[in-house]
Order: sequence, then C-alpha cells, then structure tokens
Amino acid sequence: MTTSATRCLLRTLDENYALEDYQSGVPRWCIGCGDNAILAAVQRLCRDEQLPPEKTVFVSGIGCSSRFPHYMHTYGFHGLHGRAFPVAEGIKLKRPDLHVFVVTGDGDCCSIGTAHWIHAIRYNMNMTVLMHDNGIYGLTKNQASPTSPQGLKSNTTPRGAHLEPINPVSVNLGIRNVSFVAQAVDWIPELLHDIIAAAYHHKGFSFVRVVQRCPEYLPDRYDPWVKNPDRMLLLSHADGIQISPELSRVYRHQEKHDPADRNRAREIASVSDPMPVGVLYRNRNMPCYEDLREPDKPYTPSMVGAALNREFDKFTIWPENGEDGGAGKRG
Amino acid sequence: MCANRLAVTTLHLTGEKPHGDADGFGPLGLRPALFSAFMDLSLIRYGYPLVLIHGAGEDDLVLPLTEIMDGILIEIAPRGIEGERMRRHLLGLEKEIRILVAGGRAESLTRLWDRAAAALLSGTDGEPRRSLANSLEQARENLRYDGEVVDCREETPARVLKHIWSVAQNNKDRKLRETIDTLALKLSHILQADFMKTEEAKSAVNLKHSFGGAYESVFSFEELSRILRARPSEGPLPEKRRQRLRSALSVLQSWTFFADPGTDGEANRPTDSQAFVHDGIFSALEAYRARQPEMIDLIKAMSIAELEIQNNYRESKHDAFFDEFDEQSLEPEDLALFPGYLVCLQDGSLEAAGKSELLDALSSSLPIKVLLQNHDILDGPAAGSSQASSGIKGPQLAAMAVSLNTAFVLQASSSHLYPCRDSIFKGMAGAGPALFNVFSGSTGDTPASTAGSSHLPPYLLAAAAVESRAFPAFVYDPGAGEGWSSRLSVGVNPQAEVDWPVHHLSYEDEGLQRHTGEVAFTYVDFAACDRRNAGCLAPIPPARWNDEMIPVNEFLDLEEDQAEEKIPYILMIDNNNVLHRLVVEDKLIHAARRCRGMWRNLQELGGINEARAQEMLAREKEVWEREKEKELAQLREQTPSAPDQPPSAGQAAEVEETGPPEPAPAADAPVDEPYIETPRCTSCNECTDINDRMFAYDENVQARIADPDAGTYRQLVEAAENCQVAIIHPGKPRNQDEPGLEELALRAEPFN
Repeated sequence: MTTSATRCLLRTLDENYALEDYQSGVPRWCIGCGDNAILAAVQRLCRDEQLPPEKTVFVSGIGCSSRFPHYMHTYGFHGLHGRAFPVAEGIKLKRPDLHVFVVTGDGDCCSIGTAHWIHAIRYNMNMTVLMHDNGIYGLTKNQASPTSPQGLKSNTTPRGAHLEPINPVSVNLGIRNVSFVAQAVDWIPELLHDIIAAAYHHKGFSFVRVVQRCPEYLPDRYDPWVKNPDRMLLLSHADGIQISPELSRVYRHQEKHDPADRNRAREIASVSDPMPVGVLYRNRNMPCYEDLREPDKPYTPSMVGAALNREFDKFTIWPENGEDGGAGKRG
Repeated sequence: MCANRLAVTTLHLTGEKPHGDADGFGPLGLRPALFSAFMDLSLIRYGYPLVLIHGAGEDDLVLPLTEIMDGILIEIAPRGIEGERMRRHLLGLEKEIRILVAGGRAESLTRLWDRAAAALLSGTDGEPRRSLANSLEQARENLRYDGEVVDCREETPARVLKHIWSVAQNNKDRKLRETIDTLALKLSHILQADFMKTEEAKSAVNLKHSFGGAYESVFSFEELSRILRARPSEGPLPEKRRQRLRSALSVLQSWTFFADPGTDGEANRPTDSQAFVHDGIFSALEAYRARQPEMIDLIKAMSIAELEIQNNYRESKHDAFFDEFDEQSLEPEDLALFPGYLVCLQDGSLEAAGKSELLDALSSSLPIKVLLQNHDILDGPAAGSSQASSGIKGPQLAAMAVSLNTAFVLQASSSHLYPCRDSIFKGMAGAGPALFNVFSGSTGDTPASTAGSSHLPPYLLAAAAVESRAFPAFVYDPGAGEGWSSRLSVGVNPQAEVDWPVHHLSYEDEGLQRHTGEVAFTYVDFAACDRRNAGCLAPIPPARWNDEMIPVNEFLDLEEDQAEEKIPYILMIDNNNVLHRLVVEDKLIHAARRCRGMWRNLQELGGINEARAQEMLAREKEVWEREKEKELAQLREQTPSAPDQPPSAGQAAEVEETGPPEPAPAADAPVDEPYIETPRCTSCNECTDINDRMFAYDENVQARIADPDAGTYRQLVEAAENCQVAIIHPGKPRNQDEPGLEELALRAEPFN
C-alpha cells in the first residue's frame, strides 16, 4: 500500500473470514483418507492468516490429492498431470500479489512431473507446495508410484515393486538452491498445521512432503508409525517448529534440529525409521526467481506494443518490393 | 589566566611583552603541530577530491578519487614487481589529477584522467613511457565510474548536497512512476475485464478483430460468439464504480509532477532541478503550494485505485472520505513520494526573519530540505570578546532544529560529507523537513569569513573544526527510535568516546634526538588557526619551557585551585616545521571549556558516557552474572544424572527425551463418558460418516462428540474401532436397554 489513506481505510475494514469461508463442497475422497487432514490444516491456515479468498490460488495436477482446489473456496487451477508447477510459476510471475499453493501427489510430482519439480526447486519461487505422498496411484485404482515401497504388489507390479522408492525430501535437499523442505504426517494434525504454516511464512519454494495414508489401497502401510509414537522423530528448534507440551507427552522422541544445518538435514532425511517430522531445511537468503526477474518498470500496453513492434520490424519483409523477394525492411 | 596575566606570564617567561598581533603571528605561518603531516595536500591521499558519480544509486552516491583508484588497483594490479609498478603509475596519475583539481579544473573524471595521463606521458619516453602507457590504458579500461570531480572549496557542500538530492529525487521519480503505472495498468485490467462481459466484446466482429489474420478462415466467429453469449456470466460493473475507475485512471494517466522521461527508458534522468531548488524558504513554500492541488488529486486517485484493486472499496464508507479529501488528508509519508524542495542558504547572509522562517519550515511536515552553509563558526573570544553576540549561528540553529523534534538534522563539515553520505541521502529521501548544517572550511570571499581568514586550506580547517569539537558532526533522525540515543548519532566524530581526539606526534629536538608523544587536538588548537586569536596566544622559546607548563587538555581537566599554578600551552609549528609552545589566554580556555561542555552534552544525548545508562548497565550485568552462575550450578547438579540417549536418526545430534511419560489429560476424564482426543483428529470423516449428529466437527474441522445420546452405543464402538488414530473412547453405555451390550462392552474395552 503506497498511500496513507489506503492503509488507514483498510484498517477500518472489518473483514473476518471464518473457516467455512474457505470450504467448498464435500470432498469426494474416501472415508479415512489423509487428504482430509491436509485440507483441514490448510483451511485453518487460511483462516488464521485471513487470506482473502480472491487473493489465494490453489494449483494442482492430476490425482486424488489434485482434487484439492475443488474443495477450497478460492481461485483454483486443476491442471495437467505433472504440470502443476509450471502453471503455478506462471501465476506467480504474472501475479506476485497472489498467495500461491501447489497441491500435488507422489505420482504427479515424482513421476510424470519430476522435471518440472526439479526446476521449480531451482527457480525458488515464493509458493507453498504440499506433496501428498500416499505411495500409490489411488485415483486410477492401485498402481505403484515412485514412492511405493519395494515389493508392493499392485496392478502394475503384480510381482511386487522392483525398485527402492524415491525419497522426495532428499531429492529436494540435493538441489543447490533449495530453500525450504519439511516433512509432515497426516496423523499428527497439530504439527501438520504448524509445518504448513511455517512453509507458508517462508519466502521461497516451500516444499512439504505430507506422508499420508490411503485407506483403500495401502491401509496398513503406516500403521507401525501411527500406532507407536516412539517411532516418530519430532524435529524442533527455537528458529523452527516448537512442540507443545501436550504433544511432547505422546511423542517423546524429539531432536533439536537447526533448519540452517543442511548436512544434518540430509542425514535426517535419509532415515525412514524413526520417521522424521518437522522443518528439515530452511534458507531465508535464497533469492526468488520472480524477484530476480522483476521488471524495472511495469509492462504497460504501450511499452509492450512498442517493444514488439521494434522486434517485428527487424524481420518484416515487404514482398511487393521486387522480384527478388523484397529485402526491404521497414523501420 | 586573564589577559594581563598572559602578559605577566609571557614577560616572566620571555622577558618580553606578548606582541599579540596577527601580522606578527601570520608570517611565522604557525599552525597546530598535528598539521605537520599536511603541509602540502597535493602530496597526500585523503578524502578529496570527491567524484559525484553519474547515474549514481544509493550505494555509490559519491566516491573519493582515492577509493576509485584503490578499486582499480585491486582489479588489475598483480602481486609482485609488475603490480608495484602499476601501483606507482596509478598513484602518480591520481596525484596529477589532484593537482589539476586543486588548480581549479572543474571537469568530469574521465576528462581529467585523460588530461592527467597525457601530461604524465609527455614527460617520459622510451620504455618507461610504454610501461606507463600500458598501466594507464589498463586502468582506464577498468574505470567504471565517471562524474564531476570536486575539491574542498566554498561551493563544495552545495554541489555535493545537490548531487545527493538529485539522486534521491530520481529514485522517487522512478518509484512513483512505477507505482502509478502499475496502478493504472491494474485499473485498466478491471475495466477490460468488465468490457469482456459486454455483448460488444462477444460479437463476432470483435472476436475476429482480436484473433488476428493468420487462421481466421478456420474459425466460425459467429458460432464462437453464439457460444460465448449463451454462457451465463456475471453482470457488468455498476455504472458508479465504472465511472470511479475511469476517473481515477484518467488522473493516473495524465499526471505531470515529474518531467516526462520520454520513451527512451533512461533510469537516472536528472530531475528538472530548476523547479525544486530554491535560494529562499519563501519561494520554496510558494512552489510547494502551487503544486499541492495536483498532488492531492494524484494521491486521492492512487488511494482509490489501491482500494479498487484490492477489491476493498466500500462506497458506504469510502465515498464520504474521498469527497472531503484535501491537504489535511495528506500524511508525511504521502509527501515523501514526491520531490523534496532544496533550499540553499548561507549563514552569513541570513537575517533574523530568515532564521525564523527557517525554523517555521523545519517545524512543519513539508518536504523542505535546507542546506545551511557556515563560513565562520567561532564566536565569543574568537570574534572578539568585547563584541556583543553576533546573533544565532548555524550550530545554534541546528540545535534549535533538533529540539523541534520534527526535522531530520545533520551537522558536518566539508571534510566529513563523504562519511555522512548515507545519512544525507536518508534526510533527502525521507518524509518531512531536513536541515543540513555544513561548515565549508572556506575562508573565501564572504564578509563573515574575511575577518576570520585563515592561512589553511579549507579541507584542513573543516576537518579541524570537527576534530576539535568546535563543529561536531551529528545526525538527528526524529523517526529513528524512541530514545535520544536512537535518534542522535555522533559516531562519525573522530574518537567520539573521549573529550578530545588524541594523536601520535614525533619530532626531533635540537640535538636530533627523537621524541614521541600523544597530543590532543582541542578547541584551542582550532581557534589558533584563526588569526583573530593571535592576541590570545604567545610563543615561548624552548629555553623558557618549564614544568609549570602543561598541555591545554590536561589544564582543562584540573580543578580550579590546581589550575592556578599551571600554565596551559598548545604546540604549533611554523613554516620551517619548527615546533613552538604557545601559552593560551584565559578567554580561549573559557571557550574551550564551554565547547567541551557542549560536546559532553552531545555525547550523552548520543548515548556515549551516559551516566544513568552506565549505572544501570553495571547493575544489570551484576544480576545477569548472578543468574548465570545459578544456572551453571544447576546444570552441574543435573549432569551426572542425565538419562541415556534414545536411538536417533543419525549421529552427533542432540536428541532429547521429554522425561517419563505422563498420562494424557484426556485419560483423566471419567471413563464412563464417551470422549474424543480432538486435537489429534485427522478429519478423516470416519465417525461423522457413521453418525453426523453424534460426531461433529469443531471450528478447526476436528471431531468432537456433539451429542452422545444422538446415536447408539454400537455406533460409538464402531466409530472407535474405525478411527485410524484411535482417539475415540466410547466410555460406558448410556442406555442399558440397548441390545448386545455385553459384546459391545468387550469391544469397547481397548479404547477406554
């Protein structure tokens, strides 16, 4: 806001968004699906931050998780499979004033969308990414995804998955200009909310892998961690997530981890049992692509028109000028 | 020591009366002993000349020539002999440029560079010439800056401040233009989106026109138009809103506050300085008032545009506000978006009415930036103690401006303009008025300075004024914080923590024996540079030096009774570099004492040696140390009984257990009643799907038991069994008549 009048008048507006203001329709996800917990946490965040619905946009690809924009009463873009990131980048580049969220799944992000994902990390554009990782293609009925456990029998791997799963958190940490990586689980809603909030507050590409249960095709996959809190490792830090005393009574296995320590983050990310939950890495000084590419001045129609005409004029050929094809240039 | 005591003392020590006349004092060329290294400024590297950088940004407003040369040498001079040769060549060039500038050449750096290089090359030939030419050529290729080169002269403060002011204006110009262009663009987007809903936009003709010619035969625009028209859409904008948008857009597209930069997109176009630079407060205020209506219209349009773009314009609330929008609605931060008005004043020519006008302007919130240039800052004894006060001078005006607490005030001499460049920029760019009180060090042609003419170069005199605390540098920023020490900064002064800066002095005695010592530079040393004070100083031959004579700074520290027995002196050198001791008259001592008192006040306000703060610091430190000691003692007690570390995800990490598990608070609830550990609910819809009256979500979409009687005990048990995070506790059945209770109680047991 540039002028004092705008600032003053905006303060007098008593807009107050309730959580219901962000709800849209009844989710079609299965009963018991972890996606519901993520949706609830995001709606809480929107309400707590009072994000104007018309200034918020959720972009997704294809998959169960990618139905997310339909359930948010904000702007949304349900895109192509694996292509959530390019769409979100375009939105952020053109409309940096919008709060951009990307919702993607393990299949969408780590398989068909991998190239976009890697470069989205590089670009480090200011957006919050929620990668719902249930380790299976659920929407298309039970096919192995890149994060499916080795040996998983599915419609596409009837003899069991041959390969070790990809580790999305480690992949993020492998990119030189990564700026925020966190891991959450859908069954600790308080932490899920806090981690998504931390991601939202970070300026840059904030990647949150949410480990999420699929009650339909992998109902028991995470039971050992859900049922035994001691197999969870909660990461806390004064400059990161703080664990409430109530949560500490249940989840006693904790580690003070400085999100600035990338090497330790890599070590933590490489271990799946105990399962780490928290902010693994954060670098507030990593420049954002939209800032690096911010134009010196706004692209007004006259300026764009003049620039285009200058370029076109370099190549315009007037064939009527002669039999030789007319090499005359205008300009 | 009173005047006649000076005579008595001098007679006692020398057997002669003090001559006390400037003509006798002057030919000796006496100057403070610490100036011995500065006899010829062209031979030394110091803060001048300054280059006023063309196309400067906030980070490189002005640069001393020495810094530019050092930067080039870092880039191009390799280690070793070759690099050393290059360094000598470049420093030779720097000296040549300095001599040219001191000789009065007022040109850009590149022109001076070429001129100096040609002069140097013409004096050599053969291999040395080739080597020199090579070094200078390489250096020239690495010269990244250009700009006007200025030496320290009477007009320097005005030139430097105008330059910085113009950079600040260009920044404002660019930012305002960007802001307004962006707002206009977004408003036009809203209007364009509105147009796209109209029948005209959906017509086949318009669609065809917007499509371009390449593939138009492939499409049926009639059909496309029919589809678009059939699609339901929101109605157009209300006419009142459309009019408001158009009106604001029209103001945003037609403003002329800054000169139009044209289409070349030049970023650092100099602002039309004639319109905003004035030599009097009155004319600046007139110019401001003439532009005020346009400024009000523009700010109003910007405010409406911002609210509209945010979708936050509420006609019921905002129409009335904008109907009465006038100059009272403007805040300083609004005015800061627009150019400041620079007023250049000379202290000597400022009448009483002008001073009053100046203080009025400084107490307003208008963007008036005033340069007040001082030429003669000595008062009282220096100007002749018998005279009545010559009125309020620059430093007093600066002090009064500080007390207004509305204006940004900066005081510095010419020698310290470069260290203060960022503060000057801040004052120029910020909201509200600013006063820049500058001592030029010039003994030039103004009537005021004629009387106090000094034989020293302006740079030396300006630096001496700051060193001696006679004209201390400070920055007062009323918006910088709550306390005085946040708002007032005196850090730019040399050795700001002490009364007088102390420097090392080495000299030889008559027997060619080396002596070294620390010499303070006091107010008396500065006053001694002024010929009007010749009568207050008397040189004493070395043969008459005795133990009663002590340096002025030590004398000033003595109690009155001790001082009676001592004779204060300062060290000066003459044109032949011979050291003299001069005893000092009481009038100068009194002035020095007053100067020190004012400096101490300034120090304390700036947070240096603040007595109360030091007391509190000592007290807090003691408390802190006691607490730390206590914590350490506790830690020592706890260390032997630390529990074993649990397995961790890696090594070398600090892993904690949070003590023995305590029962969850929910476990304390009576097991007879059903309950849910709501904070752990994952919102998965399992329970609500079983019975959405018994189970409901709270404001965080987490489940709670809304009504335990709204369903059966069987539903409670099934919900508990289905809950994937096992947070539903069914309790005891409430209806004892429900069938199958025995079996259900068994199933419920693991969850209670």
